[in-house]
Amino acid sequence: MAAAAQTHFQSDERPTSLLSATTLVGPATVFVAAGLLVPLAILFRYSFDKVDARRIMIETFSFDNYVKFFSDPYYTGVLATTLRVAALCTVVCLAMGLPLAYVLARTQSRFKNVLIMLVVLPLFVGNAVRAAGWMTLFGSKGFLNVTLMQLGIITQPLQIMFTEGAVIAGIIAVNLPYMVLTLQSVIEGINRNVEEAAFSLGAGPATMFRRVLLPLSLPGILAGTILTFILGMNAYATPVLLGGPKFKMMGPLVYGQFQLNNWPFGASVAFILMTATLTLTATANILIQRRFRR
Amino acid sequence: MTRSKSRREVLLGAAALAGAASLPRVASAQAKGRIVVGTWGGDYARLLNKNIEAPLLIKDGWEVVQDQAGDPERRSKILAEMRLPRGTTDVQGLSAINMFQMHDAGSVLPIDYGKLKNAGNLLPAMKYPYGVGHIYSGKVGVYNPKLITTAPVSYKDVFDPKQGNKVGIIDIQYQYTLVCAALAAGGKVDDLEPGKKLLLECKKAGMRIYPTNEAFAQGLKSEEFGLGVMWKARVVQWQNAGISVMPVTPTEGALAYVSGFVIPKNSPNKEGAYAYLDAMLDKSAQEAFAVDMGYNPTVSNAVVAPDLNKRIGFSPDEIKKLVDLDYNYLNKNDVALKEWWDKELKG
Repeated sequence: MAAAAQTHFQSDERPTSLLSATTLVGPATVFVAAGLLVPLAILFRYSFDKVDARRIMIETFSFDNYVKFFSDPYYTGVLATTLRVAALCTVVCLAMGLPLAYVLARTQSRFKNVLIMLVVLPLFVGNAVRAAGWMTLFGSKGFLNVTLMQLGIITQPLQIMFTEGAVIAGIIAVNLPYMVLTLQSVIEGINRNVEEAAFSLGAGPATMFRRVLLPLSLPGILAGTILTFILGMNAYATPVLLGGPKFKMMGPLVYGQFQLNNWPFGASVAFILMTATLTLTATANILIQRRFRR
Repeated sequence: MTRSKSRREVLLGAAALAGAASLPRVASAQAKGRIVVGTWGGDYARLLNKNIEAPLLIKDGWEVVQDQAGDPERRSKILAEMRLPRGTTDVQGLSAINMFQMHDAGSVLPIDYGKLKNAGNLLPAMKYPYGVGHIYSGKVGVYNPKLITTAPVSYKDVFDPKQGNKVGIIDIQYQYTLVCAALAAGGKVDDLEPGKKLLLECKKAGMRIYPTNEAFAQGLKSEEFGLGVMWKARVVQWQNAGISVMPVTPTEGALAYVSGFVIPKNSPNKEGAYAYLDAMLDKSAQEAFAVDMGYNPTVSNAVVAPDLNKRIGFSPDEIKKLVDLDYNYLNKNDVALKEWWDKELKG
């Protein structure tokens, strides 16, 4: 009877599950294909066209836009700045986010949900609005400068606005919640007994972290790092508002080219940014996984 | 039971009355169709609604929808939609140079002035074959009298390397700034090389670059710098906001800034587009824009109070000397000029 039921179940299972899988995956796939892949393919084609003042673009197939980017130190400098800022922000977010995520994951406090809400709270405010807040803090007559001057620590206002430091601070503030939330959810899934076992076998906190917690939370670290790095590479509002006109990152550069109606070059810069982000993310992923597999 | 029935009847009656009352309004709002207006957001959009749409179009049965975005986005949209038989907007608000750019790309309709009953009052300089001037102002020298004791009289006085870090410019206004500097250095609207050289000298002397008009105003307010160039209309707005700033019409002639409207070739409602342009040129709307925004009317029958005219307007001699950009030159060289601006001046 049981065997018959099983056979009956097996014979019914495959078509139903296939149908369910298609039903579940289908809409999202169609949406992504139509809304992302098709425009991306069109944009990729544009990147080989030539700009024209009258017709915007002349259809051709040339690598000129890519050659222009990589042969001009100005543009490669913008890419280098973007990589530097994104990498630095990711490292700082990880260093600051890991302890915070650990505390959030392990706390038994009844205010745990409130603490998590406090981490999420900055995400309730748009990037541009948040950057505007930083502007009032960093301006020459902003809170920071006025306070330092009134305390007699400085006599002339510090130039904080329109510097790389201001951009890094701004991006970290935007990205930190993503890192903390990703890490917290993974650390929460690690059994506390594993840590206790390490301690009972004589490991100190540093050894326990290095030998137990770090390898086990690696999926979270990777996910958080990738997320933060991608957000840093593609930052737009923060570099524009806090970096000022002289500071350039790839996101504002792409926008600037479309603003100039230079669609082909804008498209090629967009693809260079996307390729750099994907390559670095994939490479880091592979290297870290190999390192810890050993 | 009786009470319940009675209440239902009352409610039904009220609903019927409300429905009947709203029917003529809905019919009226749809009687003439929908006009979709591409415009910048903020004050300009609000004032379009207050001074043009509500009193002159919606009242007459038009439905007006604003498609608000920055002009680069809207220009991209016009170009992207160019091949479609039916676009999504009926009129688009753009600056004169961007109206030319859209015309040059073949994306806008030539204006049939015979369809505009207010066209007779339109100043000749505001009658573009491909667009209609809505408001205008001029790029004047601006200074903070607290910091600059000797008032400048020309662009040359503003872009003077001797002024060091007292000079400020605006990143997003690279085209106008380049032309102002060119005029200051003896160049022309189609010869900007002397202007580039002068700007590099000013940069070397400490000239400050602000990303937006708002950041520039903030810098003026906090007295980070005291000299620059800006639309006279903006100066009036800043003065109203309590910023210590004075305008000076430059002896070289102020660069004209015109904001107007074009009709995309594939506008779904061309009749509505013309109705919008006509309402925009109405005396009452033009006068209201002068009061609310500090820009000059583009029609001759608009009356601006003498005290307001003194603040926003230009003397007949200054009007004669207004300098127009060379749209064709700027459009052709825009990519190269911006690259120079980003790499050489800002880099």
